[in-house]
Amino acid sequence: MSYESLVEFLKDEAQIAALSFMAVIYALKIWGIMKKNPIQDRTPNHGNPKEGVRYSFTVIAMPWEMQVYRDHPMKYIEFTIFHLAIAAAIASTFIIPYWPDVMLKSWIMLPSLLFIAAGFLCGLLRLIARLTSPAMRAFSVPDDYFSIILLNVYLISAMIAIPNSAATATDPMIWSIVLFFGLTAFFLIYVPFSKISHYLLWPFNRYYLGKHFGKRGVYPKNSAGLRAADL
Amino acid sequence: MQTAEQCQKLYETLEKKINRNFALSASVCVHCGMCADSCHYYVATKDPKMSPAYKADKIRSLYKYRHDWLSRIAPFWTGARTLKTPEELEDLHDICWGSCTMCRRCTINCPMGVDMALLIRSGRAMLLAADSIPEGVKAVCKDQYEIGNQMGITRQDYLETIEWLSEEHANDVGDPRAEIPLDKKGANVMYVVNPREVKYAPLTLLAAAKIMYAAGESWTMPSEGWDNTNFGLFAGDDKLGGLMGQRLFEKAQELGVNKVVVSECGHGYRATRWEAPNWAKMDLHFPVESFLVTMSNYLREGRITLDPSRNKTRVTYHDPCNLGRSAGITEEPRALLKRCVADFVEMHPNRADNWCCSGGGGAMSMPEYNKRRLEAAIVKADQISATGAKIVATACHNCIDALEDLIRRYKLNMKTATVGELVAEALIWPKAAEEEEIFAIDGIEPVKLAPGEKRKKILVIDDEADVRTYLTTLFEDFGYETIEAADANQGMRMVKEYHPDLITLDIIMPKKTGIKFYWELRKEEKLTDIPVIIVTGFGEPEFPNVNFKKFITERKVPSPEGYVEKPIHRAELLKKVHDVLYV
Ligand code: SF4
Ligand code: SF4
Repeated sequence: MSYESLVEFLKDEAQIAALSFMAVIYALKIWGIMKKNPIQDRTPNHGNPKEGVRYSFTVIAMPWEMQVYRDHPMKYIEFTIFHLAIAAAIASTFIIPYWPDVMLKSWIMLPSLLFIAAGFLCGLLRLIARLTSPAMRAFSVPDDYFSIILLNVYLISAMIAIPNSAATATDPMIWSIVLFFGLTAFFLIYVPFSKISHYLLWPFNRYYLGKHFGKRGVYPKNSAGLRAADL
Repeated sequence: MQTAEQCQKLYETLEKKINRNFALSASVCVHCGMCADSCHYYVATKDPKMSPAYKADKIRSLYKYRHDWLSRIAPFWTGARTLKTPEELEDLHDICWGSCTMCRRCTINCPMGVDMALLIRSGRAMLLAADSIPEGVKAVCKDQYEIGNQMGITRQDYLETIEWLSEEHANDVGDPRAEIPLDKKGANVMYVVNPREVKYAPLTLLAAAKIMYAAGESWTMPSEGWDNTNFGLFAGDDKLGGLMGQRLFEKAQELGVNKVVVSECGHGYRATRWEAPNWAKMDLHFPVESFLVTMSNYLREGRITLDPSRNKTRVTYHDPCNLGRSAGITEEPRALLKRCVADFVEMHPNRADNWCCSGGGGAMSMPEYNKRRLEAAIVKADQISATGAKIVATACHNCIDALEDLIRRYKLNMKTATVGELVAEALIWPKAAEEEEIFAIDGIEPVKLAPGEKRKKILVIDDEADVRTYLTTLFEDFGYETIEAADANQGMRMVKEYHPDLITLDIIMPKKTGIKFYWELRKEEKLTDIPVIIVTGFGEPEFPNVNFKKFITERKVPSPEGYVEKPIHRAELLKKVHDVLYV
């Protein structure tokens, strides 16, 4: 296989294969959870389960509703930038192979790079917090350290790869594309087994939690104030 | 039991406990640590082992070892583990019983929504199977299994106490006929209590009796199934949870009551309303209501009147976790307190965000963890003392005990009270007829009640708030008790719930007309005899040519007992009401 076809393979078939692998593992994971018994609840509603589910999903966009973000707004900013930067890096893996020139447009490239760089800084802060906080260290496991380092390296690789989106096999910077897509393929295969798979489980957990708290009239939290008006 | 056998039992129970919610809560944590600052144990001690994520991992890691792919291949990588040694078992015991009140404050502050209480309760169930259970919890569970209540009160002691309290109640309200009824069939309410009320806090029970007397409630206490608390919730014992629920629900069915009202007990309400029907696998045909809701309904319907100046001291309210965070009851106590105390002040944060009293999850039954519990209680102590209140009110006996403990420990100049006690203190009693300011309208005088005679209850159904206020005030002034409904559907619910002596009914109302209501009422066997006076403009301005009188009787139903046209002539209406009720 020539170097050029290796690069193309990494950008295309390898990604599709890794993505398919991830999809299969995820499907199995979800199937494993869904085949477990749901909680049977025979009690009548006090609140509205649908409203609870809606609130449960949107609460993440309402930092004022959670104590930790109320008390430490910078944590929320860090959380948001970090996650959006990863989403941007992942999005670029879909754009670069098919529309490399799009990524090179300065009004796309510069903001993307700045954003991913900010995400990297946030990731670094998260790593430092994990290493320095005794509470975090007490429950952190190798997967936690590895995952955050992996994501930080991934963000750096995205930052290097994006300006070289259109690099060809003979280009000296082609290694950045190889690294970025190589990491992406690894990422896609590793993620379903690691804690990073939380983003797949998140909607399911928040759905059940929202339904539970919604039924009991605990969610949406501020609805309590509305009910007060009836009294 | 040998450690190996204990571990085996523990794992067998783990497998039984795994359901969808457990599997998700055990898999979704990202170890972000955001929950640490929501847990009073961690905030007070800054001990890394007290952060919710650390505690939950003790249970999560056991699940992962058996059910997570990567963990099965490389457990060290994900922190998965298996239990082998007595020390590891002891460690799990310490975490599950002694370092979490299952308050769920971390859950609502977790971006992923990990249900900590679910994990800890499952951990407790596993330990219970392995016979690793604190002596205090074991004793309480045994009493609930064998005697039927958590304080081991014998049937005879209970009956004698209720009899004695019944006499106290009659003295209290100055009515020799007043009583705390026992096993009264067909009562509207079956009132179930926390055994602490029977044994140590009879004033709370007397306060409830007084409030129900003032509201003219038809109620009863049961001779069996009276304990609303349920250690099945704390011990992770679904069998006990189901049994306690079953005893209570079957008694309610036997007595044929319309609803079960749970006294001020946080976990008692949560267990009875939300959990026990599932554990007992029973579909209930009656609602389970918190006494907070009952009292606030009395207030809303005008069945009790309160004078806040009777409670002058500054009062704050602590939300019991099982009511505020697990049962959605946050506004009713506030509505009551704002009407029964002169100076109510919120603590912050409040409602679902309130801090745990530090005595939840059965912590008050585990003296071996008292030191840690009281250390963690500093968070609550700081929170309540910042309000400047002299009374911290709450709606849970467990919280009362925990708050009193922390008040002593941190030398706060405060007292505790249940919401009901403050409401009872503020009750304005309907004046006896001879003390009533006698006035008359066109020769119609207020009703003269014989001592102890109950006022007749009139339900006013009218969609216009002004009309309702006018009518209820008029009737109250003339010696009647009133309740009101803003539409026909609400009216029908209230008829079924309160069995009024008379209904005044408007005709043109949104949703459902008074005509339809009247037809339905006359069709209901149990309600058909309730007299009705139509209070409406027969020639309603919107329908000048419609004969409403004809409509009402067109279905061959008996005619209403009276028609009064709007604008209302007070004397005519009062005479009609008096004649229907007394002549
Ligand atoms: S906040 Fe939730 S996801 Fe984060 S460590 Fe705590 S339990 Fe885990
Ligand atoms: S449920 Fe309450 S006591 Fe238990 S870890 Fe969470 S915040 Fe702490």
